[in-house]
Amino acid sequence: MGDLGAISLWMALALAAYSCLGSVTGKLRGSAALVESAQAAMYAAVVVLFVSTLSLVVSFIARDFEIAYVARHSDLAMPDRFTWVAFYAGNEGSLLYIAMVLSAMAALAVWRAPERTRDALPYTTGVLMLVLTFFLAVTAVMANPFEKLPFVPPDGEGINPLLTHFGMFFHPPALMAGLVGISIPFAFALGSLLARQTGDEWVDAGRVWGIITWALLASGLLLGSWWAYTILGWGGYWFWDPVENAAFMPWLALTAFIHSIMVQKRRGMFRMWNIALINVAFALALYGMFMNRGGSVPSVHSFGESDLGWIFLMFLAVGLIVPFIIFFWRYPLLKSAQNLDSMLSREAAFLVNNLLLLAIAFVTLWGTVYPLVSELTSGEQITVARPFYDQVNGPLMLALVFLMGVGPMLPWRRANWASVRRALSVPAVVAVATVVVLLALGISKPFAVAGYGLAAFVAAGILMEWYRGSRARHRNSQENYAVAFLHLIWANRPRYGGYIVHLSVLMVALGIVGTSFFNTQKDVVLSPGETVAVENYEIRYLGTTQVVFGNRTEFISSVEVYRDGEYLDTINPNRAFYPSFNMASTRAAIRSTPVEDFYVVPSENLSNGDAGLRILVNPLIWWMWVAGPVMILGTVVALWPEPSRVPARAPSRATASAPA
Amino acid sequence: MSKNKKISKWSVCVIFFAVILATSGAATLSAQTPEEELEREAQAIDRMIMCPVCPAETIDQAQVEISFQMRAVIREMLAEGRTREEIMDYFVDRYGPDILAAPPKSGANLLAWILPIVGVAAGLGVLYLIVRAMTGRGQPVPAPTANPSADTSSGLVANASASDDPELLPYLEIVDRTLASRRGGHPDLSPPAGGEGASGG
Repeated sequence: MGDLGAISLWMALALAAYSCLGSVTGKLRGSAALVESAQAAMYAAVVVLFVSTLSLVVSFIARDFEIAYVARHSDLAMPDRFTWVAFYAGNEGSLLYIAMVLSAMAALAVWRAPERTRDALPYTTGVLMLVLTFFLAVTAVMANPFEKLPFVPPDGEGINPLLTHFGMFFHPPALMAGLVGISIPFAFALGSLLARQTGDEWVDAGRVWGIITWALLASGLLLGSWWAYTILGWGGYWFWDPVENAAFMPWLALTAFIHSIMVQKRRGMFRMWNIALINVAFALALYGMFMNRGGSVPSVHSFGESDLGWIFLMFLAVGLIVPFIIFFWRYPLLKSAQNLDSMLSREAAFLVNNLLLLAIAFVTLWGTVYPLVSELTSGEQITVARPFYDQVNGPLMLALVFLMGVGPMLPWRRANWASVRRALSVPAVVAVATVVVLLALGISKPFAVAGYGLAAFVAAGILMEWYRGSRARHRNSQENYAVAFLHLIWANRPRYGGYIVHLSVLMVALGIVGTSFFNTQKDVVLSPGETVAVENYEIRYLGTTQVVFGNRTEFISSVEVYRDGEYLDTINPNRAFYPSFNMASTRAAIRSTPVEDFYVVPSENLSNGDAGLRILVNPLIWWMWVAGPVMILGTVVALWPEPSRVPARAPSRATASAPA
Repeated sequence: MSKNKKISKWSVCVIFFAVILATSGAATLSAQTPEEELEREAQAIDRMIMCPVCPAETIDQAQVEISFQMRAVIREMLAEGRTREEIMDYFVDRYGPDILAAPPKSGANLLAWILPIVGVAAGLGVLYLIVRAMTGRGQPVPAPTANPSADTSSGLVANASASDDPELLPYLEIVDRTLASRRGGHPDLSPPAGGEGASGG
């Protein structure tokens, strides 16, 4: 099986390289046949890569320990369902996964490409296949997952215990797919530049694939946070760790992109800006993948540990510099179709949104590289971790939330102050009321109060829009409110899908502010039978039982939970020790409600039966995890293909009532 | 306009109600025992000190022996009445400046904090200049209305929105766009389902 995988991997590399060269040469020479055969090679690469992927999966299921990768990431005790996770547990397999996903996405994107991008499509294909060739070459030459051991070990080393979690089935694949998926809108942009199609031809494809990869990254980030929350054993979910940042920055740039691409779609403006933005997003995605390849310690300091890091860094440099050279070469052709009418308009709001998102990305990048800067300039070793990002990015994020409330309320082209006042008065009142109530409740933390006030502001704006639209439909067509509301959303899906996503962002904000400012944490060591009170909860530690499994020993604690003196539940936080990894992994016991999570995680198990427990009351974090499905729903609504537009009655009415 | 008045009356009610809540509620809440406050401060410090043996984790996160000990030291020092700064200096003396989770806001490291602020401010400035240039270079399009006092490039929307029928606004915007496309602009005739933008109210 391993041989088949290795052979098909090399075949895929040949096909991708041929497709890249053939596509571009065919276009330059005007040979339609060559372009067509290059495209066929691209489709064939998908099939061949699928064979390669499948043979690695089969090798895992057969536990073919002659293959080094299988021996390193699985053992006989591993249940078969973890094959999915083991597949990308290391460099080699994850690179193969990335290549497979890129190849499939590229084929789909080219196959379904809108008619107007036809002319530029050979270049787009060429760019995509160049990226694929890079990944396949690295996989085949430097990190081949089918490499064989000189002997067959009796058992494998086993899967990393941190990966045996439900979240790990989706978090890494979603993130990797999102990161590599940025290649697709990028390739459409670059292709149109190369083909001198400098208008808006690529915009639809760019927007759709931009949103798809955005949603992939967003769900990957959320799932990763959830995984950290339930398994890492300290009660948090986000730490501005270099690898987290590496995935967060391209997501920020993409967020800016999917907003400003709307301006180009609607108004034919920001043409240069959008291309520059997607270039930046692509470069940040490469940087993200480079950070992940750095080696065992995921930080800037692991440069030298893996050769792969340097290769990625070089590709990153190429991926950043060459597109910008092409961009400046075509620069004179990129003129906006229209001018900006006013500083007070949705277009201008989008620009400020872009600035803030890029500022957060810039701060994050700066924080990541500052330790290096400091070491090179003054020789002083400095850590930049969470307190820095919290303090600098926190206010920027609040400003972004505010803009999320204002931007959608502004009309395109030009607003006037009277209409802005009208649109924002209700949200502003709701925001002020929220702030006053919070202050009344004795909450005096300025950031928290501002955060909730702004969240209320945005939510009120969105709900008011929905209510007004539904009411108008209800009155005009006698639909009941529920039907009117659904029709309203369906009639302008990109817009209302966007609102749903905005609501999910607010839900995340609710959780972030709740846990950052109002959580209670207590670390205790309890003997069996002892109780401890945390806020209005009380727990009684009953004891710990040890269960020995093939690859681990689990310490399962039993804890009774009481709230206001009333018995609620008995929960079992557990801690497992994996001797072969010399590593402990914890599973927090969480009682989750929309109001607050009650969270118990063991930090140590003493030999006399005592247990060190960390107890947390985390308000509102439930909303963060629910935001994920809501965000997906909004994305699906926004992306649902538009039917051919039926002539609406609105324009005729407007024409009739407009002064001629 | 009457709607606006209704809103403001309503808002006065809400604020009044809230102020009453505030005065009655303020006294009962935010009562923390000194012990709880000390523990809160200790946890805040935990989150600012890195664990010396584990990569990229603070002593609040790391569940290893040395971080347990360092947490105990912090609680001891707080009980002795030492301040946050003193405790952090104590750890910097022992482990070097990279024990802090964020660079100190002094000396050369001030750069780490100032550059983002300068960057964002510069970005805002550049953005302002770009937007001004983009709005300024606009070729004024003669407004097809009889209102000469209105800004010439704004078309119907600005005029209409000044009048008091905000429901009309989204539709006028379409007319605007249609006219603009006839003048060779960017055509976009998508109907504003449910009212585009500030449909007023």
